[in-house]
Amino acid sequence: MNRKSLAVLLLAGCVFVVPKLEAQIRHIEMRVEGMT
Amino acid sequence: MKQHLQRQSGVANVDVSLIDGKVNVTPKEDGQIDPAGLLKATYDSGVSVAELDMTASGKVVKDSTGGLSLQVKPNQSFVISPNELSKNLEPLVDSTTVVTVRGQLFKKHAGKQKKADALAPLRLLILEVKKE
Repeated sequence: MNRKSLAVLLLAGCVFVVPKLEAQIRHIEMRVEGMT
Repeated sequence: MKQHLQRQSGVANVDVSLIDGKVNVTPKEDGQIDPAGLLKATYDSGVSVAELDMTASGKVVKDSTGGLSLQVKPNQSFVISPNELSKNLEPLVDSTTVVTVRGQLFKKHAGKQKKADALAPLRLLILEVKKE
């Protein structure tokens, strides 16, 4: 395997392995009054 | 109230604690949850919301008025109320960096809550910028 192929393989590995932080609402907490 | 909230779009789970009056809402992974809709649904169920906090990840953008907004979806963003913590976000404006923050979207004013208060545009007061 030449260097170029190895570099492409490593790059592809990084893309799939590193978790991507996605934009989204993760959690909502409300404090409420008058709940029975 | 729990049923009201679970019917809202983008809601995966609702956990209600009667003891301390806390309601935890877990959004669906790929859904779009609307905090203003949750506020309205809670109000419509006859319960008064004292405070609504949100943890969200998004990009920091500048809105048309020059203020900062947190964009969590291409069609969903929240105007950030300026404070000391929001100043730390200014270098991230229009970058591709996704930042996770915890902030207050609603707080009941002293006195009796009016429906107009619950339906007013929500502004995000940054309480914590999370390191990830």
